[in-house]
Amino acid sequence: MSATKRGNDNPNQPRLNRNTRAGQSESFGDLVKLHRRFARGSAIRLLQTPASSLVTLFVVAVALLLPALMFGLNSNLASLLAGFQDSAQITLYLQDSVSEADGQKVSDDLLTRNDIEDAYYVSPSQALDEFGASSGLEGLLIEMTANPLPGAIVLTPSDVSSSAVDELARQLQELSLVDVVQVDSLWLQRLAAISNLVNAIGSVLSVIVILGLFFVVGNTIKLAIENRKAEILVIKLLGGSDMYAARPFLYTGLLYGLGGGILATLLQGIILATFNSNLEVLMRLYQSDFQLRGFGLMSSLLVIVAGAAISWTAALMASLRHIRAIDP
Amino acid sequence: MIKFDNVSKRYADGQEALSGISFEVSRGEFAFITGHSGAGKSTLLKLILAMETPSSGQLIANGVNLNRVSKTQIAHHRRQIGTVFQDHQLLRDRSVYENVALPLEICGYQPNDAARRVRAALDKVGLLNKEKNFPEALSGGEQQRVGIARAVVNRPSIILADEPTGNLDPELSAEVMKVFQQFQSVGVCLLVASHDAALIERLNCRTIVLEGGKLLADQKLRPHA
Repeated sequence: MSATKRGNDNPNQPRLNRNTRAGQSESFGDLVKLHRRFARGSAIRLLQTPASSLVTLFVVAVALLLPALMFGLNSNLASLLAGFQDSAQITLYLQDSVSEADGQKVSDDLLTRNDIEDAYYVSPSQALDEFGASSGLEGLLIEMTANPLPGAIVLTPSDVSSSAVDELARQLQELSLVDVVQVDSLWLQRLAAISNLVNAIGSVLSVIVILGLFFVVGNTIKLAIENRKAEILVIKLLGGSDMYAARPFLYTGLLYGLGGGILATLLQGIILATFNSNLEVLMRLYQSDFQLRGFGLMSSLLVIVAGAAISWTAALMASLRHIRAIDP
Repeated sequence: MIKFDNVSKRYADGQEALSGISFEVSRGEFAFITGHSGAGKSTLLKLILAMETPSSGQLIANGVNLNRVSKTQIAHHRRQIGTVFQDHQLLRDRSVYENVALPLEICGYQPNDAARRVRAALDKVGLLNKEKNFPEALSGGEQQRVGIARAVVNRPSIILADEPTGNLDPELSAEVMKVFQQFQSVGVCLLVASHDAALIERLNCRTIVLEGGKLLADQKLRPHA
């Protein structure tokens, strides 16, 4: 019974020397092939239990949808704000004693300033006509002996940021003929504050959702591992590492994240379409054609990629923890 | 290849499964472990597979000190060992082919190369025509042979077998032993737990006898008559 050594060329012959790693995958292509096989296996498993997979997918999608809608709403608000800010106006009410010619001159002088985009003078009589036309009180106004309205200069600042507008208003207040400076930006500031609040809520919600996703995906993976305990045990007995045993579950997590992300972008499309038809009626009343915009390609991709990354990480943590506990 | 040096194994409940075991099995050696059930045969195999760690004494298998091994070392160590489990440990949701291919997949073999090896291993145990079947469709003896094919497919340095012929008729048992001997002839170290006295007698191999966790006898080969 002596040990004899033979060549290892024939695959039918047992081999003792294991220094060579012949036959093991080395190229990138093989690795891709291997991983594709794992991904397919995980997908097939998900399809084998369609009901529970769909429920998990839906939970992941809804969880991703909440903060995504929040940020989506905010970007709509921001674009709405930007539109209004372009038409930000400052009105200078001149002192009563200023003649029309002086008023026109002040207005023309202001036009030479860099920080003013446009300025036009509204004489007291023009103002009265406009007021009469817009209020429908022409008849009543004719009865008036004196015009109570002052002359005004309406100007558009070139820099519409709120600090620049405030600074301009302060400077204009110091002009000698100016009585009152009115900046129509207070409501803009309020809207901006609301936008910031929505953003903050979105951020907090994101954190909560990430934690929730970790819980949902982690728990799903834990159950899947529980169901395949025997298989993991055998893999470990045959020398498979924890990471090897975890691989199918990582793909499961990845697929949940990708699928949930795609479902979330589809759902937001449906939600926005529903909103928009209602919004259109409202906006027509205000003579606006404003429409809620969807995520767009980049934001949709972000939702899908973020979902996949979170879900994969959750799967990694859960599977390594639970697989380590399975000890033959 | 496998060296037990005064190894004892005591379980948490105080039961001593092995006490003061010392023996050595070298490359290309074929040894039976025999004894009544509860004598410690399975514990001994579990120690070599690093499923358990010795309570005392030193155990070295395939150059690995099994008293102190990390998780990664254990995984790597097990890849060098082909194990035939008493309860087969086949995956029910995978075909015979996939079951046998599993050790190769774990080691990262290319599918084409793995396919050749799987077929060669299945051919050795006479199950080439059942590669698409699932384990549940096979008889106990066939399942056992799938387990044997899986144990040898990766050309291990050590083969451990726990009652590998328990469900096989004498003819198939002889076939399986022939496969084992083929591996022995190229330097693989084989340790087979069995109480098939007739088989052991016929094969004329070294036999390690355990009783109550102690080494009762280590019978070397009988000189050829």
